[in-house]
Amino acid sequence: MTSLLDRGGVGLRPHRRKFLNRSVAARTVAALLATTMITGSTASFAANVDLSKWSPEYIKSIAGTAEVDTAADCAKVVPRDYKGRLTYWWVGPTQAQPEIDHKMNAEFWAAWKEAYPNIETDAQNLDYNDMLNKVRTAALGNAAPMVAKFPILWGVEFAAKGQLQELKPEDVGYETSDFWPGAMKSVTYEGKTYGIPTNNETMAFIWNAKIFADAGLDPEKPPATWDDVVKYSKQIKDKLGVNGYGLVARQNAGNTPFRYMPQLWSYGGGVLDETSDTPAYKTVELNNAGSKAALQAAYDMYVRDKSVPASALTNTQNENQNPFIAGQLAMMIAHPAEYAKMVDLASKATGADKEKADAVVANMRYGLLPSGPARRAVVFGGSNVHIFAPELVDGGLDEKAAKAFVCFSTGPEWSTKLAWVGSNPGHLDGFTTKWMKERLDTIKFLDVTTSMLPSGIPFPVIPEQAELMNIIVPDMLQNALTGKMTVDQAADDAAKKVQDLLDGM
Amino acid sequence: MSTQTATPPPRFGPAIPRKRSKKRIGGWRWAGRGILAFLLLFTALPMAWMIITSLKSQLAALQYPPQWWPEEVTFQNYIQLLSPNNEVGQEFLQYFWNSFYVSILSTILGVAVAVPAAYAFSRFRFPGRQFLFFSVLLRNMFPAVVFLMPLFLLMKWLGLVNTHGSLILTYLTFGLPLSIWLLKGFYDNIPVQLEQAARIDGATRFQAFFYIVMPLSSPGIIATGIYAFIMAWNEYVYALTFMNSKDKLTLPVGLQRFFAEYATNWPGLMAASFIMSVPVVVLFLVLQKYFVRALTEGAVKS
Repeated sequence: MTSLLDRGGVGLRPHRRKFLNRSVAARTVAALLATTMITGSTASFAANVDLSKWSPEYIKSIAGTAEVDTAADCAKVVPRDYKGRLTYWWVGPTQAQPEIDHKMNAEFWAAWKEAYPNIETDAQNLDYNDMLNKVRTAALGNAAPMVAKFPILWGVEFAAKGQLQELKPEDVGYETSDFWPGAMKSVTYEGKTYGIPTNNETMAFIWNAKIFADAGLDPEKPPATWDDVVKYSKQIKDKLGVNGYGLVARQNAGNTPFRYMPQLWSYGGGVLDETSDTPAYKTVELNNAGSKAALQAAYDMYVRDKSVPASALTNTQNENQNPFIAGQLAMMIAHPAEYAKMVDLASKATGADKEKADAVVANMRYGLLPSGPARRAVVFGGSNVHIFAPELVDGGLDEKAAKAFVCFSTGPEWSTKLAWVGSNPGHLDGFTTKWMKERLDTIKFLDVTTSMLPSGIPFPVIPEQAELMNIIVPDMLQNALTGKMTVDQAADDAAKKVQDLLDGM
Repeated sequence: MSTQTATPPPRFGPAIPRKRSKKRIGGWRWAGRGILAFLLLFTALPMAWMIITSLKSQLAALQYPPQWWPEEVTFQNYIQLLSPNNEVGQEFLQYFWNSFYVSILSTILGVAVAVPAAYAFSRFRFPGRQFLFFSVLLRNMFPAVVFLMPLFLLMKWLGLVNTHGSLILTYLTFGLPLSIWLLKGFYDNIPVQLEQAARIDGATRFQAFFYIVMPLSSPGIIATGIYAFIMAWNEYVYALTFMNSKDKLTLPVGLQRFFAEYATNWPGLMAASFIMSVPVVVLFLVLQKYFVRALTEGAVKS
């Protein structure tokens, strides 16, 4: 498999304004493009964006080249004077997030009210850790909201239960090709589309330049491969006594697969065949040579070299943040939001704290995730918006109000603004807006995460994915790292568990 | 002989064993003090750390090794939470009021139902009394989450989802069994002859209950009230599930506002947790003598 960055391709005319209509020629050309994440027949571009040219320079060149009028665009789907009612649940900004998130959120609701003043909106901002169970209960009790925005793979569970209404970009005035193919794959279950991507995100590699320099490494260069990570981690530990790589292997924590799967995929492994262009999610690959090589690399760092935190077996990413900030950890996989948070804290710090915060930010470097023998890979994350089946909605579904809202929130403008520090717009045309330009000018970390997008691989889009990623994969890591099993045994054991799960045992 | 009379016989046996016994008692005493000191640290240190963290900036709270005392003490977290002039303060104070309102109503209603129920179980003999008495505990034999879905459906059917009524009703189902059992123990220890004397003097059964039994059982009623209040004040799962509107959330759910997927505002969370613990601590300190009395009542029978 090759990445988009490695491919040539036929470029499309940039900056062509579109809404609801497309040229047949463009579709034909697009259909020829194959991508890492594309599902066979799906087109792979938006009219103003040429994925075949994807690079930080290309993204900068298209940013700020298009004008958007969201309210006018959505008025073609639902008139602005429509009178109705909307209930909406989402994971919104909390007190732990940067000010800019709160500002954008407030601006969004003000703009929505201005665009559709007669739609009475009841929006509930839920906590990330609690939302899934709350929605499950509400849906079972026929008290679901009309619209909900979920982290990328929650929706498949509800789709599999028949609790979501079919919803595709064309239903709200956009086209499937306006969104990343990998993102569309995450809202597709058994051939039907149940949602629209709002934002897409990937993580990046972050390291402490001072520790690198002190350990005799080039402070400006991240490890190019995962083998280098193992090597660098050992060198740092041996020379400085501080931990090299921030391995996390906690059971039943989403942080673990988000950080371990890129390594596993890079070596050529997989849980199922999620790395293939057209995954069927039937073949178990957790004990193939690549998967075992990745597990061996983790074993080497934890057991052989002892170059990662001893508490990695119970650590989440939160436990990596403090040692990283304190210069006790050299490298980790980080979300853009983590970088943004540090910059935000530094900007607010005073007195002695200010000096420390500035030093932390000055020493932070970020780059692409390392590659492996098979590929460079990262988990394709983000969120999608869904509409619940009418019979499950508390007070009944107001479909027009729901579609107006989905159109408004998933368009180029708000899919960009609402993902300001931590993510990228779901709608590809968001990359052409002036807001994207502003983000690129002010958040340098974005260069890296946008560059990682073509290397993004979604977790398997099956209802069992949470069991696979949050239980079986961390269990495999723990079995190998604690010495309970050998690397081979742990991989084989995990593969058997996956097969049993797929077989319904 | 004279020697014998000059030396009085030891009153408690030989001196050497006595000294050994003293040493042993001293050692145990010190061991006990050590354990108590450890327990004190075990319970007090988290509280102290909570307060110290609440006085730090977010960056200082992320330092490793930690700052044992903040280099820059700040009360900003408290000011933000308690000020009605900013959005965070408005939300927090609303959550605080909601928790207080729900907890107080749950407590009052719980005590109002538990007092006559416990009295009935204590004083009256009726068919199925034992069965009913033990069956009230059935609810508390299962984890709370088992009843989440049935209660949610019930509240939906009653039209109470997203109202504080749903929480008050739910908390009653938790608190009542314990309250009834606790109060029955109290009534059992109040001599029935006191009521009989009142009845002879012309009081009705209700008057005997109200003027004689109720004042005597006030420690138990207060202890029961404290139990019910604390339980309602801290409850999280049902509040999260039943409440949908931001302006109706309670404090335990509101505390989640300090967590995000990739970050936690530790100083803000600790400040909010400290403020949240204040009513419970004050309530306990003011009423602790009743609480202790309630727990030890009936332990020794005269």
